[in-house]
Amino acid sequence: MKGLRLLSLLCLLLAAGPVEAQDGKPAGTLRGVFISDPPTLDPAQATDTTSSAVVRQLFDTLVELDERLQPGPGLAERWTVSADQRVYTFVLRPGVKFHNGRVMRAADVKFSFERAARGKRPWVFEKIAGAPGFIKGGAGEIPGVRVVDERTVELTLEKPFAPFLHLMAYDAASIVPRGEAERLGPAFASRPVGTGAFRLKEWRRDDRVVLEAFADHFRGAPHLERVVFRIIPAEITRFNDYKAGNLDVSDIPTGHCRAVKADPALRAQVAIWPTLGTHAVRFNVEKPPFNDRRMRLAVAHAIDPSAVVQGLLEGCVTPGKGILPPTLPGYNAGVTAPGLDRARARQLLAEAGFPGGRGLPAITYHFNTSDLNQRIAELLQAQLREVGIALELRRLDWAAHLKVVDEGAVTMFRQAWIADYPDPENFLTVLFHSRNVGAAGNTSRYRSPELDRLLDQGDVMPAGPARFKVYQGAEQRLLDDGAWITLYHYASRALIRPTVNGLERSPLSTAPEFLAPLRKVKIAQ
Amino acid sequence: MLSDLLEPAARRVLALLPVLLGVSLLVFALTAVGLGDPARAMLGQRADPELVQQIRRDYALDRPVHVRYAAWMARLVCGDLGTSYHQQRPVAEIIAERLPATARLALAATVVAVVVGLVAGVAAALRPGRLLDQLLMSAAVLGISTPVFWLGMMLSLLFAVWLGWLPVSGYGDGAWANLVLPALTLGAIHTGTIARMARSTLLEVVRQEYIQTARAKGLAEWLVIAKHALRNALIPVVTVIGIGIADLLVGAPLTETVFAWPGLGRMLVAAVGQRDLPVVMGAVLVFAVIYVLANLLVDLAYLVIDPRIRRGR
Repeated sequence: MKGLRLLSLLCLLLAAGPVEAQDGKPAGTLRGVFISDPPTLDPAQATDTTSSAVVRQLFDTLVELDERLQPGPGLAERWTVSADQRVYTFVLRPGVKFHNGRVMRAADVKFSFERAARGKRPWVFEKIAGAPGFIKGGAGEIPGVRVVDERTVELTLEKPFAPFLHLMAYDAASIVPRGEAERLGPAFASRPVGTGAFRLKEWRRDDRVVLEAFADHFRGAPHLERVVFRIIPAEITRFNDYKAGNLDVSDIPTGHCRAVKADPALRAQVAIWPTLGTHAVRFNVEKPPFNDRRMRLAVAHAIDPSAVVQGLLEGCVTPGKGILPPTLPGYNAGVTAPGLDRARARQLLAEAGFPGGRGLPAITYHFNTSDLNQRIAELLQAQLREVGIALELRRLDWAAHLKVVDEGAVTMFRQAWIADYPDPENFLTVLFHSRNVGAAGNTSRYRSPELDRLLDQGDVMPAGPARFKVYQGAEQRLLDDGAWITLYHYASRALIRPTVNGLERSPLSTAPEFLAPLRKVKIAQ
Repeated sequence: MLSDLLEPAARRVLALLPVLLGVSLLVFALTAVGLGDPARAMLGQRADPELVQQIRRDYALDRPVHVRYAAWMARLVCGDLGTSYHQQRPVAEIIAERLPATARLALAATVVAVVVGLVAGVAAALRPGRLLDQLLMSAAVLGISTPVFWLGMMLSLLFAVWLGWLPVSGYGDGAWANLVLPALTLGAIHTGTIARMARSTLLEVVRQEYIQTARAKGLAEWLVIAKHALRNALIPVVTVIGIGIADLLVGAPLTETVFAWPGLGRMLVAAVGQRDLPVVMGAVLVFAVIYVLANLLVDLAYLVIDPRIRRGR
């Protein structure tokens, strides 16, 4: 009898296991969701996370980042780096097939990089020797990308760049088949062909994207047979669809985090993990009154970010002081920033010539349209009023916000930054180097030769603690100068059904657009 | 009767052209003076300024507005709505993908509104001042004044999440079940207006002498209403239906967003956010054509319903 029970239990356990046919064939469907329709599925043209989330399943890169953001072999089975850190030689895996059955060659790598360098994210390739000239259209090829033989590609950089392997893991550096991409032209964006673990089965615009397993993937067929991404723009509808059992993964709507965590039916499905993003307040340091450091620090001392974290975001994000998020390699736990100190804020305001705020015109705070941004802006307005600073709120849609911020037509504004790749350079150099003033990232229009020198030094140093030390010094300098006020660091707030196994929760992966490779995911019955 | 309809129809179709020209001019001017650069919006948060300029040149965004408008108009005359900045596909193809879903939703919402509105209006008019009348007219006012977004969410919660009778959202390969909640939501405002209009016009008509005569002849009340009163009461109702098409178009983006319905309205909202001007222009033009054609149909319906209008032409 006992044996029978054990047998029954064993049968039950087997039945509840991941769906995978006994012959190892893919099985089961993952039902995910996106906020918007991907504008493109061409890695050279994508600039948004939705497109990237699909691109990462359809294509592969030479290098892959693991859950701890460490680079590992992707399409390249190994690589070497020269002693001067400038030459990277990648040896490709043999016999990797594209979805159309053709075997990938080194020439596809050169073609893909040159094609993408003239796409929407040229900065991914600009470190390669000769790339800037090629990007501007002045050269016929990138001389720094050399095909050595069928399976070997050599990339030569202008200068050493420690996070270069991270760039090679970025989805813009996906490998596409030359013939197919040339033949299809712009239509490649709708009919993509890659080497990824999934291929495109159906794309019904604004409704759903369906992927199916690619059995000839170089790592073997994925566990899932299909992935269906529904396109659902309203977060409350996504939530309702999840509750109705129509989705396997979704995000938690703004303002529902505490309620969901307290809901007995849902709390076991809540997954919150820190990601590589920071939500901040920035100043245009070229314009009065924030060309005066004392004014920037007065604002920094008047703001209480904990009211945003605990009050508006229900403690479901990570509080922070520094520019770099805690999950980023190179994070400095000892970083200091001007905290809430209203007496000090009033003193600085008086020193700047505005005792009690008298004589200071109302400051316009620009932010892009969203309920959360509106509520944060109103909170900042109330907090600054306490020290005598009047804030006028100006809400614009994303495209208009980008324009006024890029052009320096703002004085104080909301800025969020999510890392493209996990390295301090992607925050500090991009956001504060004087060569990046404006649309390239330095919207504070911050210009400091000393800071530039530090950042230039860090950018070319070999990876390691000494390099991180340089960036940490730059970060502290910026915070001491009141150039940036962190409100919080991002966290991914997801609902994941218990039947979903193996979904990576990487700091680069934000719900509902999981950027993690779905080939590892299994669905239990 | 067909010849009676052809001439006014032709006149109205011709009148469509200046309307469309005016709409296209207005929208083009608005996009030109509005904040935001399509080239910049295309590149996300981190953009290479040189690439922004290059895209502006590629899409002729660096040319004066009137030159761009003339070029757009020249293409339009040849039947070309242009290419989407974001999707790199013909705008006509993008619109054609969404149009069936929008048409289906608008048609279903109109059917809901007309059937429910007329039945409610007639039922209320038959018992003026009674409880049923008060209940129906209160419901009509509620339908008119309830925001589409809120109503959609409530219907979704009740019928999809709690009761599980209908899908929460999506097109569902054209399944009827997926159409029910969006059509009810979108049709709600229209239903209330039609019900109120049908009630008030019917109350006026039933006081006319020819209705008294019909009753005196001993006709059943339902026959008096259906055959004699309703036809004459329909003229103002048809006007409301025609104007209501505009409500459906205005309400469609919100309904499509709540129910993740892959229609034109949602596409237009996204295109405005992305500053995808060719798509915005194309979608607005389609909306304008639908609006004008709906009004044309209303005019033609007058001619069919009321022979006096044909004769008095």
